[in-house]
Amino acid sequence: MKEYAYYPGCSVEKMALSYHMSAMETTRALGIQLKELEDWNCCGTTAYFHVDQILSHALCARNLAIAEREKLDLVAVCAGCYKNLYFANAHLKNDPDLAEHVNVALSEDQLNFAGTIAVRHLIEVFIQDVGLEAIQAKVSHPLTGLHVAPYYGCQILRPRKDHEDVEQPRFFEDLLTAIGATAVEYPDRLRCCGSSLLLTSRPAALGMLRTLLQSAVDSGAAVIATACPLCQVNLECYQNQVNHEFGTDLSIPVLYFTQLVGLALGIPPDKLGIGKELVLPTPVLSSVGR
Amino acid sequence: MAERLSFSDEVSNLLYAAHGNPLTTCIQCGTCSGTCPVVPYMDHTPRRLIGMITAGLKEEVMASNTYWSCASCYHCNVRCPQGIDIAELMYALKRLSIWRAQHKEGLIGPVFSETFVKTIFKSGRSYEPVLATSYLFTFGVQEFLQEAQTATSLMLKGRLPVLPPRIKRLDNFGRMLRRIIPMGDAK
Amino acid sequence: MNSQKHLLIIDDDPDFVAGIRSILESANYLVDVAYNPKDGFEALQSKPYDMLLLDIMMGRGAEGVMVARKMRKDPKLRELPVLIITGIREQIAFLFPGGPVHPRFVEVDELVEKPVEPKLLLERVSALLQSAQAKKASPA
Repeated sequence: MKEYAYYPGCSVEKMALSYHMSAMETTRALGIQLKELEDWNCCGTTAYFHVDQILSHALCARNLAIAEREKLDLVAVCAGCYKNLYFANAHLKNDPDLAEHVNVALSEDQLNFAGTIAVRHLIEVFIQDVGLEAIQAKVSHPLTGLHVAPYYGCQILRPRKDHEDVEQPRFFEDLLTAIGATAVEYPDRLRCCGSSLLLTSRPAALGMLRTLLQSAVDSGAAVIATACPLCQVNLECYQNQVNHEFGTDLSIPVLYFTQLVGLALGIPPDKLGIGKELVLPTPVLSSVGR
Repeated sequence: MAERLSFSDEVSNLLYAAHGNPLTTCIQCGTCSGTCPVVPYMDHTPRRLIGMITAGLKEEVMASNTYWSCASCYHCNVRCPQGIDIAELMYALKRLSIWRAQHKEGLIGPVFSETFVKTIFKSGRSYEPVLATSYLFTFGVQEFLQEAQTATSLMLKGRLPVLPPRIKRLDNFGRMLRRIIPMGDAK
Repeated sequence: MNSQKHLLIIDDDPDFVAGIRSILESANYLVDVAYNPKDGFEALQSKPYDMLLLDIMMGRGAEGVMVARKMRKDPKLRELPVLIITGIREQIAFLFPGGPVHPRFVEVDELVEKPVEPKLLLERVSALLQSAQAKKASPA
């Protein structure tokens, strides 16, 4: 059984608990093991970049060094954490002065960064390491007839890491097809949802959110799939506020890809954290006959 | 005596470690502005902001809301034909505006970032309710009530934490961060 | 031989640099300036200086600390006196609720906070230069 160090990230502790639950359930069913990173700390989000980027790298380096001690690649589920950990790893590897400086700090916690592990996002592990065929082979409750809008968001794709297609990616659509669902095409699948602006530039965030939700609804989607807790909370929990602001009548459930995969694998909805939503995913459940 | 440094040079010094090409390679094509999802809410588009930096309009640049409106979505970055790290430019301007206290008045962004950084310094992990109280007072009554309603709904679904999370080796963590930012009051 | 002392300033704030540069030059010091840590370190390696005046918050963050730490590991630069002149306590005041910069976490000879009085600046510079000279004359 392939094992990874698992970085939950702050939002998964409570706000996105269902992402954590469904990640644990589906990985177990797919034959991979996520081992929660011992005493992990916040990745710093973008807020640390606004004050001191070296501090931000130090925060990430502590997590990377703990994973190195375990000799395991580090898997993140939040797109923001993934991006921060990935690039901290890359920058520290390419800049020995920076790594040496950060290591002086890490020695306070008896840790050392050497750059020996890789940082991955869980959706990437599903597609590249488990493989679509292997996933398809385990589907017992295909989501036939369910129209899903795959929402890539920003930081899984961007900034460009090395070879990936940042303009026309298909992996999310392919994953949905593998579990029997129909991936709808809509123009805003790569466009930012504005979650980082929700607290700081509210009108901008609500406007961006409205455009995105409308684009998904107009494409005939019954549900939106995400791979990021910040996108999920923004897209789902703020629909009421968008409706209030713009006089719209939006009400589309937003689920994690792990929840959809889990349902297709026959895992009971409550074990995937389904039921904690503000917009209930009724069409999803009826499509798998629950 | 040497010439006084231009604002354009001041910004490139701030970006000395960035991975993109220098701002002076910008051809003002506007791909960034056409891509940016936040443009309708910005005082100046990203293309224009870069032009203003090159032109040395320091006060106008620093007083704009453009860089604090950046959502860090990196869409401009992957499309810039000149390979300029535009998102990093926005981060750099945010830092400069905090360090020199030169940002536009009334922005929530700087207050939020500072509160966030402080929270992580103290506990190692983020805690939504602490962050919420630091910005909610800046909202109007209507927004406040809506936000409170969303928070209550989340609380009822068990999606908001009651107690702040903490990492275990917090003392080590605090000393670690003070090796980067040499502040006092460490144990 | 010319006894004029050669100082290097590494600081990213053009206004501040213009100010202290003219103070130092009027006291007959020879002054070079680097506006970012990379240029600064290159300057340090390109010629011998008598003293470094170093800012903390530059570029990505608290890079002055990084420069000071790197110098202390370099046999050629280890003995160079370093005076940190920083506004860090004001620049990121939210992290310094009353607490000063902690000497334990930054290995430099002396630290003064911005804004700095011309008289105080010249006193500190001259005292550090003298003690460096004394150290060189009678190595411990």
